[in-house]
Amino acid sequence: MNRKYSSDRFSPNRREFLHGVGGLTLAVGSSGLISACTTERQSSAPAAGSTEITPNIWVTLGADDTVTVQYPATEMGQGSSTALPLILADELDADWDKVRVETVGFHDEAYGNPFFQNMLYTAGSLTVQAYFDPLRRAGAQARKLLLQSAALHWDVQVGELVTEPSVVVHPASGRRLGYGEIVAFTDLPETLPEVGDEELKPFGSHRYLGRDMPRRDMPAKSDGSAEFGIDVQVPGMAYASVLRAPVEDEGPRSIDDAAARAVEGVTDIVPLPWGVAVVAETYEASKWGREALNVTWSESSRFREANTESDMEAYVGQAEDLAQTGTAWRAAGDLDAAMDGAAEIIEATYRSDPAYHAQMEPMNATAYVTEDGKAAEIWVSTQTQSLSILGAAEFLETTPDKITLHPMYIGGGFGRRTLRRQRYVEDALLISNAVGRPVKVIWTREDDVKDGAFRNAAAQCLRAGFDADGNLVGWHHRVAAPKVLEYMNPPRWEVSGGRDVIAMLGSESSRYDIPNFRAEHIITERCSRVCAWRGVATSYTKFAAESFVDELAAARNIDPLEFRMQLCHDNPRALTVLETVAEMADWPRPREGTALGLALAGYSSTFAGGIAEISVDESSGVIDVHNFWLVADAGYLLQPGNSEAQLEGNVVFGISSALREQIDIAGGQVQQNNYYDHPVMRMHEIPNIEVRAISTNNPPTGIGEVGLSSTAAALANAVFAATGVRVRHMPLTPLRVLAAINA
Amino acid sequence: MASFSLNGQAVEVDADPRTPLLWVVREHLKQTGTKFGCGVGQCGACTVHIDGASTYSCLTPVSAVEGREITTIEGLSPDSDHPLQRAWVEEEVSQCGYCQPGQIMRAADLLASNPDPTRDEIVTHMSTILCRCGTYNRIIRAIERAAQEV
Repeated sequence: MNRKYSSDRFSPNRREFLHGVGGLTLAVGSSGLISACTTERQSSAPAAGSTEITPNIWVTLGADDTVTVQYPATEMGQGSSTALPLILADELDADWDKVRVETVGFHDEAYGNPFFQNMLYTAGSLTVQAYFDPLRRAGAQARKLLLQSAALHWDVQVGELVTEPSVVVHPASGRRLGYGEIVAFTDLPETLPEVGDEELKPFGSHRYLGRDMPRRDMPAKSDGSAEFGIDVQVPGMAYASVLRAPVEDEGPRSIDDAAARAVEGVTDIVPLPWGVAVVAETYEASKWGREALNVTWSESSRFREANTESDMEAYVGQAEDLAQTGTAWRAAGDLDAAMDGAAEIIEATYRSDPAYHAQMEPMNATAYVTEDGKAAEIWVSTQTQSLSILGAAEFLETTPDKITLHPMYIGGGFGRRTLRRQRYVEDALLISNAVGRPVKVIWTREDDVKDGAFRNAAAQCLRAGFDADGNLVGWHHRVAAPKVLEYMNPPRWEVSGGRDVIAMLGSESSRYDIPNFRAEHIITERCSRVCAWRGVATSYTKFAAESFVDELAAARNIDPLEFRMQLCHDNPRALTVLETVAEMADWPRPREGTALGLALAGYSSTFAGGIAEISVDESSGVIDVHNFWLVADAGYLLQPGNSEAQLEGNVVFGISSALREQIDIAGGQVQQNNYYDHPVMRMHEIPNIEVRAISTNNPPTGIGEVGLSSTAAALANAVFAATGVRVRHMPLTPLRVLAAINA
Repeated sequence: MASFSLNGQAVEVDADPRTPLLWVVREHLKQTGTKFGCGVGQCGACTVHIDGASTYSCLTPVSAVEGREITTIEGLSPDSDHPLQRAWVEEEVSQCGYCQPGQIMRAADLLASNPDPTRDEIVTHMSTILCRCGTYNRIIRAIERAAQEV
């Protein structure tokens, strides 16, 4: 890179250290902890006077007492840029005020998330779950090293020493050494100390974890200094606006750009495979130029046939056609035999439309491509540093080391920024390459809606078999949906064995004890761009499964709470969640004019239950939500207050999307435009929300999405309780409620 | 050439008079705390004060602010210590944080004219600003906390 700018906030000095220092080797100790040892550093560093040591890839200890922790994820509001360093700092027994955090901005599998093939990838509520153990061990290892060095220095036994935050103490003599002082006389040994499980702090004994330490990103987010992708300013950069083809896989056939070129400030018109870019000295000129373009588009794409309503009916046909078998997501027992022998079979089909992320920061990217087109510097709000780099490298037909990424704060992710092919980055790469300058591309909100990569549409056929004694003996969950993972990240799809987690998560219904079970993925044609969405598939699989459980309870004339408690009789965590949420809502109390609906709908390893209290205006079909209670057990909570903030946000997001957020596609074109016709819930529209995050002595799991699995089903079940009718099509719009009432 | 005051400093900007104030502030003057969300006065992420009143900067042409005083999140307080900013940190309001400068500017407008708002007054006033992360409950709590200080 000969044309390089740097951003203060995310300086790449860590990368330079790890990749630029000669003699670096990565060694994996027997505990599985990856250590970075530089033989050159060890041999050349004097015995005294070290300025810093790096016992493992996660932490560097400075002689000035600083502790620098590598943060391998993206802060998008979930709080992991505080939680992850806290995990390490706690085991290290570091003074939190001396801890600095650096975001890993380069692709390196050593830092990658093992749930995502060792990619740097922030999604699926899997950050804490993935890094809890390695960061604990890294912190404990660094502390052990400091203790050993101090013991040698004082000529005492390690067992005689204790630590206070960033200080090693020898209580018998009253001697004390700050971590920085120890660093100054410590060389990394040939073999770093191993850390056994028994040496890690047990749950409940932490200094920071579980105690609501202030989130590090709060001050910058309260004074405007937090730097998001859209905020990047690079010297000499131009701005670009792209007139995008109205239908996927179409492109410009003829371009009349005379009027656009006449706009003052417009410098270039760059045709792209999927649109036409107007480049200008100012953003406004690029936008005015774009508005002056006259483009004729190709008309060959199969997506011109895409129509939300008719595509949904095709999906329903596949979901209900039992002759079509799919890829098993989870199977247990002998479902076919159970259903053949069942005394009664109940079936229902559920529909869920495409859903838009509506994150507040529209897609944007800034790129500077070198003259040969084979290297680039990019600034982008991304949920995956790895895929932004690998995708850009593939796009430029170069190698990943030629891509320098500046990760930024992101104005809402919700899954939208997880694709391998990031069209906004590709916009910036192509345009920068064409004009030889850094270019910032900003999508309008309308671009963001119409070029959205939506939660896929799905049709789901649920079937249940009861034996003659009324026992639920078979459960069949057929999800008709496209191959979402294949679109998002083809290499990951190739090694998935056809298991599409993005399309299927939640359909495993693992909380319930049902002896014969099959959840399967019936592959449908993709009818829009698709992507993971908050809660991944649970937002629709749980809408269906938990509505269906309610239908079964009603068919058996059993209270919905009691029916669920019977089904998870041997699952104490699920039972506790159910009991807690029922108590919060005062479930048995009869209501006047309102009704309750329940869902027991966790997310992966997190347990959750929600109850909605609603009323329905039967003349308009409008659902008024009065209260929502949500309880989650995500194991051992690192940041209880932040966990509850996440749950509150989940409820708002979940209700908004379940009741009225709609994407319609007609002739391949998205019909919605902006927040005025895709109305996200506002402050005056939210119900009273009460949440509780229960901390249990189980490994910590995700909490940033779990509520999305409960909201839609709880609302739909409450509609049934209020009106006696089932609405099986999400979103539960007034028209659909009215149609169900009048059916 | 547009002339106005930005956060207490006189500025002159060579921008087309039609240019939305949002882009003048963000891209010409590089004060990027004010955010772009929708461009049509729906989300409020672009909220700034014009002569003390909160306004959608995305709908305001720069020609309309000639000679007027503009305040953005960067100029709300000298050391990020406006009672609302402190309350935002104390209550840990922000999640992604993108809408929060607009939320704070909108709330500052409320407290300037109504130092002791009721919950209903807060909710009505703040309903012009969207938050996709769903931080509304904490926004209310932070405004109530700040109101006790002013």
